[in-house]
Amino acid sequence: MTARLSIQNVSKTYAQADDVTHAVRNASLEVDAGELVAIVGPSGSGKSTLLAMAGALLVPTEGEVLIDGEPITGKSDSYLARVRLRQIGFILQASNLVPFLKASDQLEVMGYLAKADRKATRARAAELMDELGIGGRANRYPEEMSGGERQRVAIARALINDPAVILADEPTANLDSKRGRSVVEMLSRLVREGGKAGVMVTHDERMLDLVDRTYHIADGVLVQQ
Amino acid sequence: MFLSLREVRHSRLRTTLILAVIALVAWLVFLLSGLANGLATDNGATLTRMDANGLVFEKDTRLFLHRSILPMEMVDAVRAVDGVSDATPIGHLTVTITNEAGNERVDATVLGIDPDSFLAPEITRGESFADAPAGSVVVDEELSRHGFSVGDMFKVTPAGTEFTIVGFTSDEKYNHLPVIFMPVSSWQDLKFASLAESGGIADPISAVAFQGNGSALDAIAKSIDGVDVATRQQVIEALPGYSSEMSTVKTILAFLFLIASLVMTAFFYIITLQKTNLLGVLKALGATTRTLALDLVGQVVLLTLVGAAVGALLANLTAAMIPANVPFSLSNDVVFVYGIVLIVVAALGSLLSVLRIARIDPLIAIGRVE
Repeated sequence: MTARLSIQNVSKTYAQADDVTHAVRNASLEVDAGELVAIVGPSGSGKSTLLAMAGALLVPTEGEVLIDGEPITGKSDSYLARVRLRQIGFILQASNLVPFLKASDQLEVMGYLAKADRKATRARAAELMDELGIGGRANRYPEEMSGGERQRVAIARALINDPAVILADEPTANLDSKRGRSVVEMLSRLVREGGKAGVMVTHDERMLDLVDRTYHIADGVLVQQ
Repeated sequence: MFLSLREVRHSRLRTTLILAVIALVAWLVFLLSGLANGLATDNGATLTRMDANGLVFEKDTRLFLHRSILPMEMVDAVRAVDGVSDATPIGHLTVTITNEAGNERVDATVLGIDPDSFLAPEITRGESFADAPAGSVVVDEELSRHGFSVGDMFKVTPAGTEFTIVGFTSDEKYNHLPVIFMPVSSWQDLKFASLAESGGIADPISAVAFQGNGSALDAIAKSIDGVDVATRQQVIEALPGYSSEMSTVKTILAFLFLIASLVMTAFFYIITLQKTNLLGVLKALGATTRTLALDLVGQVVLLTLVGAAVGALLANLTAAMIPANVPFSLSNDVVFVYGIVLIVVAALGSLLSVLRIARIDPLIAIGRVE
């Protein structure tokens, strides 16, 4: 069985004049269906760079990223946008919801971008929000919701196009530990039940008992614990 | 438009402000073009309304009716040219008239015409002078504002010739002056006291108006010597003062469009800059530049459309309140065309924002990339 997300010997190097920075050095990581993997490391360690490469936002200097066995390196910008839209679900730091969209529209815009059937998208959005316990918040704008509710909307948004990979960038950053924990528990359950490959970048070590595997990254070198 | 519609609805204050700006600019554009058209109409309304394809003048008279003198035979000569379907004489004179009581003096343009020709004015009140006794005239409605009505007499100074108003017509102006229509013979008596004054022409007229097909104009110019032929529009543009009036107004209009486009371009560019992070997030989620750009241009077009519509409404309300002696004429065609120009200008301006959107790197959505 192929891993849903496969990062193979990936490096990212920034060259500025005589100064060469190795943001990520020869990192490899495989995530199977239903697995949630955590990457922890101090700031400046290269974890965001690695996440960006896994998420088709940044082209690796060397190595390859495969989603469901398909390489995404060396493709055009519009191809990568399509990969991000359909195969990757992002949960961004501080949820990063669109301020002028109601919760239900935050999800429906993904269907709109993917040119999916409007009705089906709407039904799936309602279903997801119910599942995540925010069904009653469908008509709220981000400013009218709590941090935990916003993060759940972000999780629902990541899931709505049924992606292969879920990438979470510090999903607990603005939450207290109780709410943060419930968000990660939810993420873990959804990844397991949905058969997704989940990767969570975090510096919050208290959440690590909820994930299947933990990697540490320091100075661009990725090591499994 | 998924995003635009919701953004417009959510950011009410911002939407209201930009709509207000666009509506005011559109209003100003419509008002100004209404005044410009009013001026143009006021100057050459008779020419604008004239059911003629062109006019034939004496050579080298700069298409001025008041300078041109042609013999009456020219009418038949013009009519005989291939492509010309009809031709009729026109006589011109600027006069001052005085009412019977002698207390009201008005400047006016006398046009001598054949009442059975295509130059006959539309009678709004009273009757035509066609079957009326000699000395009967039809005058523009403006004279009624000076106290003249059907049946009134007036004198043309200084000669003192008397005329009777038998009918009124509307929107007949020449050189900003109300037109008095009379038979060519009455006009000849007024203008030429002696044969010497008409340069020895026994039966003089000012010019010949003709109807015909597209080639008629060139055919007349080729086959008749000693004349200048011009289209109706060329004659209007040659009217004294016309081109300077129009160039002033057109310069102001051009600047209005320029300012409108700069204001809207700057507005939407700043909004786009302000949304950089959000647009980066949307791109990270999989939105293409194309989708986001179309959404923005759609929003610009929508707002300009609504703003221009409000401006058109305001302009029409204003037009209804403008006093009758201010020349103002705003047609739906003009509103439509200028509305479209505003939308196109705004859409072009939004391309600057589109460039900005294209340059946004979705990477900014991921926190602190090292």
